[in-house]
Amino acid sequence: MNTLFALVIGIVVIYLGYQFYARRVDTQIIKADPKKATPAKMYMDGVDFSPTDRNVLYGYQFKSIAAAGPIVGAITAANLWGWLPALIWLLAGVTLIGWVQDYGAMMMAVRKDGDSLTAIAHKLISPRTRTILLLFIFVYILMILGAFGNLLAGALNGNPSVPLGIVMLAVAGMLAGQMLYKWKMDLIVTTIVVVGLTLLAILIGPAIQSSVADLNKAVNGLGLTIYFVDVDGLVKPFTTSYMFWLLFVVAFSYLGATLPIWRYAQPVNYIGFWVMALTIVGGLLGAALAVFLKPSVANFVVPAFKVFDAGTGGALQPLWPMLFVTIACGAISGWHALVSSVGTGRQLEYETDALPVGAGSMFSETLLALLALMAISVAGKGAGAGAFAAGVGQFLNVFGLDPTYGTALGFAAFVIIVITVTQLALRFMRVVFAEAFGEMWPAAKNIHIGTIVSAILMIIIVLSGTFTYLWQIFGAANQLMASLALMLVCLWLVEQKKNPSFAFWPMVFMYVTTIAANLILSYNLWVTVVLKQSSKPELWFAVVGAVAMILISVFLIAAALYIGWDAWGAYKRMKSGKAATAPAE
Amino acid sequence: MQPDIAFIRNRISRALAAVRGVLYGAGAHEIVLYAVRLRSDMESLFILITLGDLIGVPILPPYYSLRLLPFLVPNIASWKRRVLRERDILETDGLDLLAG
Repeated sequence: MNTLFALVIGIVVIYLGYQFYARRVDTQIIKADPKKATPAKMYMDGVDFSPTDRNVLYGYQFKSIAAAGPIVGAITAANLWGWLPALIWLLAGVTLIGWVQDYGAMMMAVRKDGDSLTAIAHKLISPRTRTILLLFIFVYILMILGAFGNLLAGALNGNPSVPLGIVMLAVAGMLAGQMLYKWKMDLIVTTIVVVGLTLLAILIGPAIQSSVADLNKAVNGLGLTIYFVDVDGLVKPFTTSYMFWLLFVVAFSYLGATLPIWRYAQPVNYIGFWVMALTIVGGLLGAALAVFLKPSVANFVVPAFKVFDAGTGGALQPLWPMLFVTIACGAISGWHALVSSVGTGRQLEYETDALPVGAGSMFSETLLALLALMAISVAGKGAGAGAFAAGVGQFLNVFGLDPTYGTALGFAAFVIIVITVTQLALRFMRVVFAEAFGEMWPAAKNIHIGTIVSAILMIIIVLSGTFTYLWQIFGAANQLMASLALMLVCLWLVEQKKNPSFAFWPMVFMYVTTIAANLILSYNLWVTVVLKQSSKPELWFAVVGAVAMILISVFLIAAALYIGWDAWGAYKRMKSGKAATAPAE
Repeated sequence: MQPDIAFIRNRISRALAAVRGVLYGAGAHEIVLYAVRLRSDMESLFILITLGDLIGVPILPPYYSLRLLPFLVPNIASWKRRVLRERDILETDGLDLLAG
């Protein structure tokens, strides 16, 4: 297999899926009508409800859904099972399930007056469903913080060429906020200055890496070490320099969580978009042209299929169901449904725009996951950031860019995209914390207290967890949200007396798969950490972390069963002709 | 057969406009949305302090309210919709950037 062939297969499947399946559902089942008034027109307030051009909305939706998820998921899965299962799931997932959810949630919101997904859940299923959905979101955010914090600290600690670019990102972010909002400077000038500064720092990074390595060595001299149990069952250390970079990530995210959003989080995100866009476009072009310009780069070196059960050290990692929670974004992700309903759905000018915006951006996101999969497949080894960066470095080398700089750009792009999500996750966690505990404990409404508590939770999760399990629980929470979104779409279709089968079978698959994955995750943590390591005093932190993750998994299973039961009740209510709306609590 | 230059030019300009739209949507739309929300928050407060009588809160002397009324009337309907609409936690600023 080579990169061009993989890309061609991906593009052909995506084209066929969009033209012959998605379009058919849109015209024959949903019957999108350009003459029907959308909420953006009916409730136009010039703010949240505002008709917007579909090209703009496509870009907005794509940017909102395509972040670190498709990259990390594809890389982790290829490492565990080989590139072929990952490729098949990415393409089959997006064609049969992923676009159905994004598009379905968007159309449902459009036809339900622009209601959010939680409000629709409240009305269609039961008030309890809304509460459970909010708890899902809480778990999802917590796991994002744990998994991404782990990735970031590892990437910054292991690659001394990266930190300079990230420090510059923080500085350039502040500068961009100042230039745009205070000095009222032109967006194009601001973009050239801040993106240019960040790229320059990224490319200078390799030149100063020995100084950063010396800093790491000096920090490690403090000798503070915490042990964790890796996915292979082996006990490994978090070094002092790892914890130092974890604190750096927390400090970076603290600014994002506490400063006004225009001052820091939003400009940082904006700069991240350009760095990532350059990397994606360059990487995809390099992957496509490698066969002609530099054939040695184009061939996959990772095995197509490794093993059905990738578990080691007593743990289980069977292809089904674990692959389907390891790769969430890129194939299907529940979070997209939230954005589709609250964000984009309220801005659609015509109902017919939902297809290119909702389904089109989901299909496009798969290309990002495909790039990550190709990067790991040509790089051949490594995990997470390392594999992605090495692959991107090789793709950019096709155009003559020195692999040192190409890899540095790949690393920085990866870290930037992950850290921008992490800072926003910490910000949102602070809001949730204030919302949940503000009445009981007024101090919780203080933004600094809320952020510090959230940051402490993040550090605990990172230091007590194993990346692969954190990532898979994050995926499980995400996929369970996807099942819920699909369940809502099914109920809405039943309510509208339309055929729900295009959403029903994906929902059943995701529901069963996610519950099975949670059971396996709990088993793995119990067997490899709690049973084996609880007698070792130096591993008490890892054992407590494993117990906490088991409890989260059990919560996800219980929540899924509750929602399934309530949805069944709602279905019976609709079929019996009673009011479709759920009874009050 | 001569190529239809006007047709080709039209297709190219439409394609360029689409690319511009996508880039704007991905890069700058959220910034514009945020600015619009900030402005609407200010406007909401302004309407509240000038037209407090609407909800039974006489804040400014009616003379000033009456002088401002012609300028504010066009916004009152959307202001009421915006202020009275039920919101949930998913509408927190920046949440839309968390997906993926």
